[in-house]
Amino acid sequence: MADRLFALFALIAGGIYTYVAFFIIKAPFQYDPLGPETWPQVLAVVFLLCSLYVLVRPDHIQFALGRSVWLRLLMLVVMLGGYAELYEPLGFVISTALFCCLLSVMLGANRLHSVAFGCATGIIGYGICDYLLGLNLPEGLLAPFL
Amino acid sequence: MNEVLSGLSGGFGVALMPLNLFLVLIGCFAGTLIGALPGIGPINGVAILLPIAYSLGLPPESALILLAGIYYGAEYGGRISSILLNVPGDAGAVMTTLDGNPMAKRGEAGRALSISAIASFVGGTIAVILMSLFGPFLAKFALTFTPADYVALMVFAFASLSSLVGKNQVKTLMGAAIGLMLATVGIDANTGVARYTGGIPDILAGFDFLVVVIGFFGMAELIHLVEQQISGKLKLLPIGKSFVSWKDLMQIRWTMLRSSIIGFVIGVLPGVGASVASAVTYGTEMRMAGEDRKKFGTGDPRGLAAPESGNNAAAGGAMVPMLTLGIPGSGTTAILLGALMLFNVTPGPLMFEQRPEIAWGLIASMYIGNLALLVINLPLVGLFARMLTIPQKYLSPLIAVLAFIGVYSVVGNPFDLFLIIAFGIFGWVLRKLEFSLAPIILGFVLGHLFEDNLRRALSISRGDWSILVSTWESIGLYVMAVLIVALPVIIGIRNRRKAK
Amino acid sequence: MKKLFAASVVMAGCLFGTANAADIEKPECIAPAKPGGGFDLTCRVAQGGVGDKLGEPMQVTFMPGGIGAVAITLFNTTRTDDPNAIVAFSSGSLLNIATGKYGEWTENDVRFLATVGADFGAVIVRADSEYKTLDDLMNKVKEDESSLAIGAGGSVGSQDWMKAALLLKAVDSDPRKMIYVAYDGGGDALTGLLGGSIDVYTGDIGEMTAHLGTGQLRVLAVMSPERLPEPFADIPTTKELGYDAEWTIMRGFYMGKNVSDEAYDKWVAAFKEAYGTEEFAKIQKDKGLLPLNIAGKDLDENVKERIKKLREIAREAGLIQ
Repeated sequence: MADRLFALFALIAGGIYTYVAFFIIKAPFQYDPLGPETWPQVLAVVFLLCSLYVLVRPDHIQFALGRSVWLRLLMLVVMLGGYAELYEPLGFVISTALFCCLLSVMLGANRLHSVAFGCATGIIGYGICDYLLGLNLPEGLLAPFL
Repeated sequence: MNEVLSGLSGGFGVALMPLNLFLVLIGCFAGTLIGALPGIGPINGVAILLPIAYSLGLPPESALILLAGIYYGAEYGGRISSILLNVPGDAGAVMTTLDGNPMAKRGEAGRALSISAIASFVGGTIAVILMSLFGPFLAKFALTFTPADYVALMVFAFASLSSLVGKNQVKTLMGAAIGLMLATVGIDANTGVARYTGGIPDILAGFDFLVVVIGFFGMAELIHLVEQQISGKLKLLPIGKSFVSWKDLMQIRWTMLRSSIIGFVIGVLPGVGASVASAVTYGTEMRMAGEDRKKFGTGDPRGLAAPESGNNAAAGGAMVPMLTLGIPGSGTTAILLGALMLFNVTPGPLMFEQRPEIAWGLIASMYIGNLALLVINLPLVGLFARMLTIPQKYLSPLIAVLAFIGVYSVVGNPFDLFLIIAFGIFGWVLRKLEFSLAPIILGFVLGHLFEDNLRRALSISRGDWSILVSTWESIGLYVMAVLIVALPVIIGIRNRRKAK
Repeated sequence: MKKLFAASVVMAGCLFGTANAADIEKPECIAPAKPGGGFDLTCRVAQGGVGDKLGEPMQVTFMPGGIGAVAITLFNTTRTDDPNAIVAFSSGSLLNIATGKYGEWTENDVRFLATVGADFGAVIVRADSEYKTLDDLMNKVKEDESSLAIGAGGSVGSQDWMKAALLLKAVDSDPRKMIYVAYDGGGDALTGLLGGSIDVYTGDIGEMTAHLGTGQLRVLAVMSPERLPEPFADIPTTKELGYDAEWTIMRGFYMGKNVSDEAYDKWVAAFKEAYGTEEFAKIQKDKGLLPLNIAGKDLDENVKERIKKLREIAREAGLIQ
């Protein structure tokens, strides 16, 4: 069932890809014999054939997850999104501390431990990466102190 | 021959000075640390640490020796995250996850890490030896490789892939197609036309390899881990003390030798390198294993040693065109080339005449860098393996933090952080549906090479397709590609006949 | 969300005004690419050669994405009046502006500040090539545009392609008929040339330093307006050989278009001061650049004139309508 659903989505996405390959991509003038559209066209056909095969002969795959699992996975994705969104504005130290703290609480750490873990990761991580390895990480709100 | 020996002894004289020995060890250690961050492979490791090395004000040969240490360290560091976390550090390490990670999940992280270190050492060392002996000759061979030959090489690489893991062959093909399709996003290298960018400036230059690999491996692994944990399916990993055994070494000795030579030859070709080398060596070893083939992908030492020897030998091979012709054959060598220029050393045929102490010092430092890697990392294997004892509730956030550091510090565009999350979700779904992720990554890496060389070849021939089979190299590669696909089928039919 | 954030920054900027816009605090050089490329190098020259003229050390930050499109978009939406930041550009960026790759943003949406040096196009063949001089080559082109394969490190419409197109145009041939092979960077193209896949490589003179005197390559001409200093002094220019095909690769910086004149002038002064020092000349040379020092209004005019020319060529070649 899951396989069929996936194949359906693949057909739709592949269909869009195919449409673009055949009707949208055009070079201002034909330079090399193939042009920019031929290669995507070949790929599109291969991909559509594969999708069709999966649609007709799907594997039996258990994709059943409990509702609470789905909910938590959704929370994970939201947290990751928030982490990415706040990475530059808040800076590495604060955003990392927040993210680590929240995620470890969701995964069952107790509050005190998770706060300690989050702060430690943010500060030590920044220390190692910025001062020792010379990596470029966002300073954000703490810019005046770093 | 005498020339080589006297050059080398001079080089070792430089490389074995106490300061330089110290530098190569420090470089190896720092490189391992930085390489262990997912996504930061040797290219970025060297690029990031280069300014520091330069600012130390060292004499050129010492600075280059430091860089060689960093290079080998970063190369190895990438293996740590591949094996322990199933997150490859760079393109060459994708195949390493296939057998390395299952081994670690069995509680044999120490064994996997030590096998990887030894296989890397063997690959690296054989490459340096071959380079000292046949460098100039091989560089000429690399030059004769035309775009049409590259097309044949790509066909061969995909043929080797066909043996890859995955229960469902159609899904393996579909995965490769997904990777190839992702590679078509961005400005077309031939005509400058934007393809599939949807007007978003951030992807005008295409997806960065790093973003794809961290998304499909790192983030997908994270989502998978969290899902397993909250649904209570995660088994606690057994952490046994394990180390490479004599029996392992005996089992992989020919694998290492074969893979090193294959990897080196592939690495010499400009533009190809570690990813192709590891795919081809893995496929070859799987063929050679015969009935044992089924063990590959479940934590077989040969499946780990082959890509490790292969990609390290390829990294060494890539030095050949740079040192002998002044042409960088890979991203990393391009950066090393830049480093040499910083010190007013111009690589190329003249370097061996004008600055022999640097040319041979660099080669000698590669021998020593390889050895340093072994000396530094083997004792630390136990320590690295203990990383897996971090409780899952802390390890999962750490994976995300490491992935973000890798992407942000190298690419520096916050947009890419959202991309890795999106790729991660997609990768997780594919994993649930029993897709193997390796073909996607390899499809992505090889996509550009395949398309660009095909179009180059046809431009040169003015559209005449017969150029694709116009050289002996290409014909040889096509024959090998057919063999590698057909052999198991033929053997299978024969066995069935015998059974009747 | 991102837009909302951007908007609030703009509003905050309006509310608090630009009280001391002329003071350059925490000068920042933005390389609109990943570390290690040409833009990185451009910023390093400014960092080492101009940074100390501002009283504060200059920081280099990277803003990759869309061959520079991400940076120019940012400097036209949120940081239009940032007095502290300069963004690196090259002739490639100008070409992108001319061919509309940056969407709605044009040369009038930024203020061009100063250059830090130049590189020049070069016409290169194998040492054993039948083409001994540029004339040999051009005569062959005149006979039949598609008789030889020209290759370089960029796509059709890129700088490398433009060099080849200009050469063809100089003898009234149609650039659209040439056999152009696009490689992935100069190194790959050189390999193709040495291996015999292509006949001519339209590269840059700067990268030839490593190959002069190796006996593998021959530089037929350099596409500079005048003869270059040593070690390139023996190489004739396209102009003196009678072909009107010049290609200067300019490296420099722009700022947001709403930057106050005070701040802009301060930067210009810093660059002009640096141009006079030996230190700057040395950094320029170390980074493989040839001198080309223009700042302020002169540069702005120079660049706009260039873009106009590029647009004409692009139109004639069929790249834009």
